[in-house]
Amino acid sequence: MTRMIGTRMIGTRMIGATATALAIALLAGSASAATKIEFFFPVPVEGKLAREMGDIAKRFNAAQSDVEVVAVYTGNYDETKIKAQAAMQAGKPPAVALVSANFVLEFKLNDQIVPLDPFLAAEGTTKDQFLADFWPALHGNATVDGKLYAIPYQNSTPLLYYNADLFKAAGLDPEKPPQNWAQLIDYASKLTKKDGEQRWGLMMPSEYEYLGWLVSAFTMANGGTYYNQSYGGEVYYDAPSTLGALRFFDDAVHKYGFMPEGVTDQKAVSTSFFAGNAAMVILSTGTLSFVRENAKFAYKVAFVPGNLRNAAPIGGGSLVTFKNLPEDQRKAAWTFMKWLTTPQQLASWSRFTGYFAPRKSAYELPEMKAFTAQNPDALIALDQLQRYGQPWFATFNTVAVRKAMEDEVQAVLSGKKKPEAAVKDAQRKADEIMLPYVQSTALTVGTGG
Amino acid sequence: MSKALARRSPAQIGSAALLCAIALVWTTPFLWMVVAAFRLESGGSRDMASLLPPLQPTLENFALAFESADFAVYYLNTLLVVGGILAVQLVTISLAGYAFARLDFAGKDVLFTLFLLQLMLVPPILIVPNLTTVVRLGIYDSLLGVMAPYLASAFGTFLMRQTFKTIPRDYEEAALLDGARWWEVLWHVLLPLARPGLVAFSIVSVAAHWNEFLWPLMVVNAPEKRTLTVGLASFAAGAEGGQEWGLLAAGTLLVALPLVVAFLAFQRQFIDSFMFSGVKG
Repeated sequence: MTRMIGTRMIGTRMIGATATALAIALLAGSASAATKIEFFFPVPVEGKLAREMGDIAKRFNAAQSDVEVVAVYTGNYDETKIKAQAAMQAGKPPAVALVSANFVLEFKLNDQIVPLDPFLAAEGTTKDQFLADFWPALHGNATVDGKLYAIPYQNSTPLLYYNADLFKAAGLDPEKPPQNWAQLIDYASKLTKKDGEQRWGLMMPSEYEYLGWLVSAFTMANGGTYYNQSYGGEVYYDAPSTLGALRFFDDAVHKYGFMPEGVTDQKAVSTSFFAGNAAMVILSTGTLSFVRENAKFAYKVAFVPGNLRNAAPIGGGSLVTFKNLPEDQRKAAWTFMKWLTTPQQLASWSRFTGYFAPRKSAYELPEMKAFTAQNPDALIALDQLQRYGQPWFATFNTVAVRKAMEDEVQAVLSGKKKPEAAVKDAQRKADEIMLPYVQSTALTVGTGG
Repeated sequence: MSKALARRSPAQIGSAALLCAIALVWTTPFLWMVVAAFRLESGGSRDMASLLPPLQPTLENFALAFESADFAVYYLNTLLVVGGILAVQLVTISLAGYAFARLDFAGKDVLFTLFLLQLMLVPPILIVPNLTTVVRLGIYDSLLGVMAPYLASAFGTFLMRQTFKTIPRDYEEAALLDGARWWEVLWHVLLPLARPGLVAFSIVSVAAHWNEFLWPLMVVNAPEKRTLTVGLASFAAGAEGGQEWGLLAAGTLLVALPLVVAFLAFQRQFIDSFMFSGVKG
């Protein structure tokens, strides 16, 4: 009998819970006078950024009364892409989204985002005039087929961080960081310690996303372009410049032994650097604030060493607006995007996160001048961007094409494959993935585009 | 007692030691989380790998976690989602399980096979179609939208069908002779006897939906409708920055704690249920 009473109680509770759930669902969604738009954003760095982004939206809402922005946290860059695309297909496109700068091409190829040129034309300006204030290295990933599809918002490049104390201990001059691969190999070998507590000469992240970025950086430093920067159906994975980059990775682990074998994630890299177990690391400039706060020794930053040239591909995120928005939301989206990318807003976000402000004029602001005077290492990162910035890998189906290479490089780092075989297999897989796009574009002749 | 202990063979002691070692390996991540949650962040997580409890335990990480995220709201939302899903599921799986176990109708086997086939689908494939349905139903960006795809459960239906099948028909026939209707038989006879199956299913359901991340992230937009997992990720996930290990550990502990406490409190019942129903996590 007690059993039956128990079941009955569950029954009552069931009804109670369902009723509450229904009531909550009904309460959802209320109307307001201002045009309400959604802004999808990922959390790109650590900690309190999600809250700060919410506060930025609140400041915008308080500053004017036409548009009300709801800032929606949407996971990481990949999850933001999944959510934006799923919402788009379900008929609820977000007005504005902060997306990985190298996903812009794919959003465009999928016909999901709209060009911003008409907004600029309505204000009597042009794409070129608008982009003139943005660092040139950022233009490539913001434009597709000559039209502006995205506004850069937060940007980064890889950067070499090194422990000056360990440099001195190894008899190296901390004022003279390695300039090229030969020096990088020489320094890293000298800084490696095998007896006692292990210390690596050089560490860099080799997890998905980070690894593809760094392989492209080394390939570009080796004179290559890595992918066709104006057509989304070609990559140069088995080109000599790429093969040379993979050989550097392979030799670092298996010939000189200054880099750990296997796949290392960025948390392990930054933690090893702080613990003094890695003398040099290559990490994003977006990590600069975090390093500044946590390094308990004299750290320094320098350009990523080049081989045939210096090159630093950009990373980070850009703002896009989606197709099929109602007219009022379309306008509101532009208003918000413009406000977010004013020099003042970009400068303030840059100081908060450690990312570059994409606009040149942001660095002319007094508060930014004071900040860079206090943190001169931020200027080294900026200098590298200005002098050696390169666009970021973007193709049809970017993530899958990127992983085709990353899987192979991880096999090389783990000692399971040689670079020569790896680049061939990566190229073959990438070509397979891009084939549908290639067949519908470059191999289709005379359809008039 | 001491006699019993003395009679243990070396093999038994050896296997006990082995079990302890395995248990230690399995609990290490959890132990680390607890220790790290109470450790003051220092030197960029230089001692973050240490399992030794901090000399000066601190609640600062928890204060930071509460400051970074609105945990009270997230707890409530998660409870509503998990409770709402379970409540409806218990009804739907009991009725569907009963139909498949006891009723005869045309196409029963085909329908049941279709139900089982659904188990083979990987949930991420269904994100776009499910989201489209949710939008059409007008429950996008609501907790009901988070619950909707789970209100029926193929696994639960299968489990209840098997559980009902193990119950001898004699009980039902006795009730039917007394003039009970089918729903009275189900309510007064079958469900009480199927309780271990219901409990086992409830545990699996609660644990799965408590931990779910991707689907709530897809459906919910408004910050005040975030569930615990989404709320945790909103300050713990990082792409290019470093990690605040203490904060991460404190937040994760806050999210996991209710489930851990519930498991410890009802451990005996859980294990009985799993033994009975043959379900494994």
